[in-house]
Amino acid sequence: MDSILQQFINGVTVGGIYALIALGYTMVYGVLKLINFAHGDLCILGAFIGLTVLTSGIFGGLSTPVLLILAFLIAMIVVAVAGTLLDQFAYKPLRKAPRLSAVVSALGASMLIQNGIMLIWSPNVQVFPNNLLPSTTWQIGGAYLSFVQLLIIVGAFVLMAALYFFVHHTRVGTAIRATAIDQDAARLMGVNVNRVIAMVFIIGPVLGAVGGLFIGLYYRQTYFTMGWSYGLSAFIAAIIGGIGNIPGAMLGGLVLGLFNAFAAGYVSSSWQDAITFALLIAILLVRPTGLLGERVAEKV
Amino acid sequence: MDKHMNQASPATSSGSTRALRLVGPALWILGLLIPQLLSPAWITIGGIFAIYSIVALSQDIVLGRAGMYDMGHAVYFGIGAYTSAILSLYFNWPILWTIPVAIVLAAALGAILSAPIVKLRGDYLLVVTIGFNAIFVLAMQNNLFGMTGGADGLFGISGPTLFGHMFGTQSDLFYMNWVVLAVVLWLMGNLDRSSLGRTFRYIKHDELAATTLGVNARNYKVAAFALSAGLAGLAGTLFAMQLSAVSPGSFRFTDSVVLFAIVLVGGQASVPGVLLGTAMMFVVPQIFTEFAQYRYLAFGVAMILVMILRPQGIWPARKGVI
Repeated sequence: MDSILQQFINGVTVGGIYALIALGYTMVYGVLKLINFAHGDLCILGAFIGLTVLTSGIFGGLSTPVLLILAFLIAMIVVAVAGTLLDQFAYKPLRKAPRLSAVVSALGASMLIQNGIMLIWSPNVQVFPNNLLPSTTWQIGGAYLSFVQLLIIVGAFVLMAALYFFVHHTRVGTAIRATAIDQDAARLMGVNVNRVIAMVFIIGPVLGAVGGLFIGLYYRQTYFTMGWSYGLSAFIAAIIGGIGNIPGAMLGGLVLGLFNAFAAGYVSSSWQDAITFALLIAILLVRPTGLLGERVAEKV
Repeated sequence: MDKHMNQASPATSSGSTRALRLVGPALWILGLLIPQLLSPAWITIGGIFAIYSIVALSQDIVLGRAGMYDMGHAVYFGIGAYTSAILSLYFNWPILWTIPVAIVLAAALGAILSAPIVKLRGDYLLVVTIGFNAIFVLAMQNNLFGMTGGADGLFGISGPTLFGHMFGTQSDLFYMNWVVLAVVLWLMGNLDRSSLGRTFRYIKHDELAATTLGVNARNYKVAAFALSAGLAGLAGTLFAMQLSAVSPGSFRFTDSVVLFAIVLVGGQASVPGVLLGTAMMFVVPQIFTEFAQYRYLAFGVAMILVMILRPQGIWPARKGVI
C-alpha cells in the first residue's frame, strides 16, 4: 500500500494526461456539439508516430533530448494534419445533417483510424525502449517522483497554462469562446466560424498527440485499441468538468486522475472502469451539466 | 386513391409500402429455403443474421422510435444470454423455459437502469449507457456471484428440447430463429400502428408538446427501454443456443457501437432499413472472409460514406407519419 502522497503524485500524472486529451473533446464539443469519438484514436496515433521516430533509427545520430523533442514535434504535426483531414472529410459535409449522423461518422472515423494503426503497426503491443528517459527518481516524504512523471506533470501544466492564456487573452481565443457559446451570434459579430472550427481541429489534436505520447512514455507501451480506453476516460473527464468548458476539462482530468489513482490504490484495479463510470453517473445525477458546466435552459 | 388510403390506414399509405408488405413475407418464405439450398456455413450465417436482426430492431425501439441515444444495448442482449446459460447450466432448466425469465429479467434491468437517467440530455444519456456497458462487461469478466465464468464465459449450453426430442442442429436452430424473427417483425408492425408506438414517435419529435398533451414522457421512455431490453433479452437466449456458449467478448462496447450504427446506417424507425443495416454488418463480411482483417476498416469507411451521402440512412422511414 503506497502512501497518500504517492497516490497523489500518480493521480496528478495521469490526470494531466487525461486533461490534455479531454481538452480536444471539449473544444470540438464546444464549437460543433459533436462527440468526436475519433479523438482518442488520434491521440494514440501520436504515441505510435512518436515511437516510430524514437526507434526507427532514421534520426540515429541525434542525442536523446533532441530526439525526444523531434518525436513530440513530428507527432504533433502528423496528428494535427490527421485531425484536419478528419474534419474536412468526415465532419464538414455533415455540418447541417442531423446530429446523430455526425456521431456515426465519428464512430466510423474512430474504427478507421484504429484499424489503420493496426494494419500499419501490427496488432501487437509496441514497447517503448527503457533507455530513453533518465531513470532518476526523487524521494519526497516517503513518496517517489520519477523523471517521466515530472516531465508529464510539468509538460501538461505548461501546455494547459498556455492554452488558458491563448483562449482568454488573444483575439482567436476569444473567437473560439464566442463560437462555443453561440455560433450564430458569433458569426453575426464577424467571427469566421469555419476558421475557428479548423483551429479547434489543430489545437485539440496537437494537445492530444502530446497526451498520447505521454501515455506511451509513462506506461512504456502502446497498442491500437488504447485510443478507446484512454479516449473514453478523457471524454468522461471532459463531461465531469462540464463539456464545452475549457477550464472544466482541465479540472475534470485532474479530478478523474486523482480519483482513479486512489481507487486503484485503495479499492481494486480490476474494477477501475466501473469505478470511473460510477463517479461519472453520480456526478451527472447531481449536477447534470458537470462541475463547471453552466446550468442552461434546454434547447427545444 | 392514394389520399384515400392515407386516411384509411396511416401507416401503410403509399403504393410502394403495399408492395413491400408483399415483398417482405415473400423474402421471409424464400429464407426458409436456405437450409435446403445453401451450405452449412450459410445456415449458421442465416441464423446469426436473424438473431442480430432482432437485437438491432430492439435497439431501434429505443434509438430510432423513442429517440434516446442508448449506446449500451449489448447489456440487455448479454443479460438474456447469461440468464439462459446460467439457468440451464447451473439449475438444469430446459433452455426453452429460460426464455420468459430472460425476457423479464432483461426488461426489468432496462427499466431499472433507465429510470434515473432518461431525464439526461441526449449526449449525456449516451455516455452513461456506455458506462453501463463497461460495468456489465467487467462484472461478467470478474465472475460475478461465481456464476458467469469470468473472461472465458460459459459453454456447453444444450439446444432446445421439445416432446423429448432435441433440436440442436444448425438448421433446427435456423428455423427457430427465423420463426422468432417473423414474430418480432409482426410485433414491430403492430408497434408502428399502436398508440404506444405513436407516443414514442411523438416524444422523439417533440417531447415538450407531448408533455403538454398529458403524456408522461418519463414513463413512456422507461417503457421504451423495458420493451427494447426485453426483446434484446429474447435474442440473447437465441444467441446462447446458437453458439452453445456465452462470453463477455460478445457484449462489449464495440458490439453496442455496431448496433447503434446499424440503426443509423439502415434508417431510424425503418424495419427494412434496420434489416439492411444488419445484413451489411453481419452477412456482407462473410462474403469477403479473406479480407477479414480489413473488416472494421471497411465498416469505418462505409459508416462515414453512408452518413455523408445519405444522412437519414440508406432506407429511411417515410416522413409525415405521426
